[in-house]
Amino acid sequence: MNKIAITGIGVVSPSGIGKRQFWANIKSGRSFIKKITRFDASLYPAHIAGQIDDLEKYSHISERLLKKIDAFSHMALVAAELALQDAGIDIKNEDPNLVGIFLGNAIGGWLYAETELRDLYLEGRQGVSPYMASAWFPAAPQGQVSIYYGIKGFSKTVVSDRASSLMALGYARKVLAKNKLNMILAGGMEAPVTPYALLCCNTYGALSKNNDHPAAAYRPFDQERSGFVIGEGAGIVVMESIQRARGRGANILGLISGYGTSCDGVNRINCASDGKELARAINMALADAQVAAEEIGYISLDGLAVELWDNSEIKALELVFGENLKKIPVSCPKSMFGNLLGASGVLDMIIALLTMEHSLVPPILNLEKPALNSLNYVAKESREYKVSKSLIISRGRGGINSVLVVEKL
Amino acid sequence: MDTKIKIKEVLSSLLKVKIEELKDGSTLIDSIGVDSTEMVESVIALEKSFGVKLSPKEITKNSTINDIVNNIQSKLNK
Repeated sequence: MNKIAITGIGVVSPSGIGKRQFWANIKSGRSFIKKITRFDASLYPAHIAGQIDDLEKYSHISERLLKKIDAFSHMALVAAELALQDAGIDIKNEDPNLVGIFLGNAIGGWLYAETELRDLYLEGRQGVSPYMASAWFPAAPQGQVSIYYGIKGFSKTVVSDRASSLMALGYARKVLAKNKLNMILAGGMEAPVTPYALLCCNTYGALSKNNDHPAAAYRPFDQERSGFVIGEGAGIVVMESIQRARGRGANILGLISGYGTSCDGVNRINCASDGKELARAINMALADAQVAAEEIGYISLDGLAVELWDNSEIKALELVFGENLKKIPVSCPKSMFGNLLGASGVLDMIIALLTMEHSLVPPILNLEKPALNSLNYVAKESREYKVSKSLIISRGRGGINSVLVVEKL
Repeated sequence: MDTKIKIKEVLSSLLKVKIEELKDGSTLIDSIGVDSTEMVESVIALEKSFGVKLSPKEITKNSTINDIVNNIQSKLNK
């Protein structure tokens, strides 16, 4: 299948808004995990997160629109705007029928939903905003971005837990490879730092409760790991064919060259312990990219910081890469800003693109004593590596595996 | 307060548009591009503010501010 060019990056994250600020913080290994301040979360077992507090500063969205949408749509609108700016695309000059949007999301827009549900019970049906129905559901950002830019081409929202946005990127590439569209805005968004969403995340049972030490809480692959930390944000990229990107003189930031997906199918919550299905998805992505395992120069780990998940991820990598695994630098930069759930995969891909551009692999935070020593972890601080091909792993609840291969032009 | 001024204030505050955009003789669709959900919200807000019962058929996207004033005023006078 054809490789597809990425020509614009839009990122809205606790580690920064816009790719320059984001990369400056990521390469420096700064933690942005803090105690939740948006509401009183002190009674929740886990009450730390990566939060975005100054989205308004970056937003040109009118108050009239903001009152109709949830924060996750707002984040998607800002990320889309940044991606288009970065790509140098004025969407007014595009054929709207040949522009699409492929976004991933796991939980929907709960800040809006829970506020209105509270009003339903307090005030009755007339207390509920008529925008509730169109504000909370996972495809709302797709709809809002398409309305904002007049986009009318084939589009989709993928809901596949934490694997959602990587799956959306894989899907978008497939559609572009078939020449069905000229360009796609693809990625994902998540806004779980709300009272009800945080409660749901807590009941999952895998969040770190190290509330007194937020920066040290998320420690994937470490002996002292205690679960993951949630974060909020959005990542959207502009995707188009290499030919079109070259034709308009665009700066090609990287190529999506392979995608694979599989399901463990063993448990409602947990993944399989043997890593076999994840290994199959990795092999599928490598075969799709026509890339040999030994060509991979950087692996972005899912890193849930839960023993079963971390160990099965390592097992999958051992199955695919064998002895060569020790040579490949691996990282899990989401330990700096939190796991953005349905938007985590696209942020990992954006970091992989920036890693290849700058020949610098950012670190996993808090990895002091690896529980298993079979990987070449980049810990504590960034390390220089020339990387031309990267593998990104994103996994969802119940063992939904999605894997992407990206490379330099 | 003058009914017209109050109607404009309610709609301006609710829909986050400037009062000057709400022109007396223009329809809501032409002046501020109101959508159907905003209309539902507007009818409810005007009912609450004036204590009258309005049907969505009486006040529509094609109503002007003057139409709305006449409608509400006639109910207030009853």
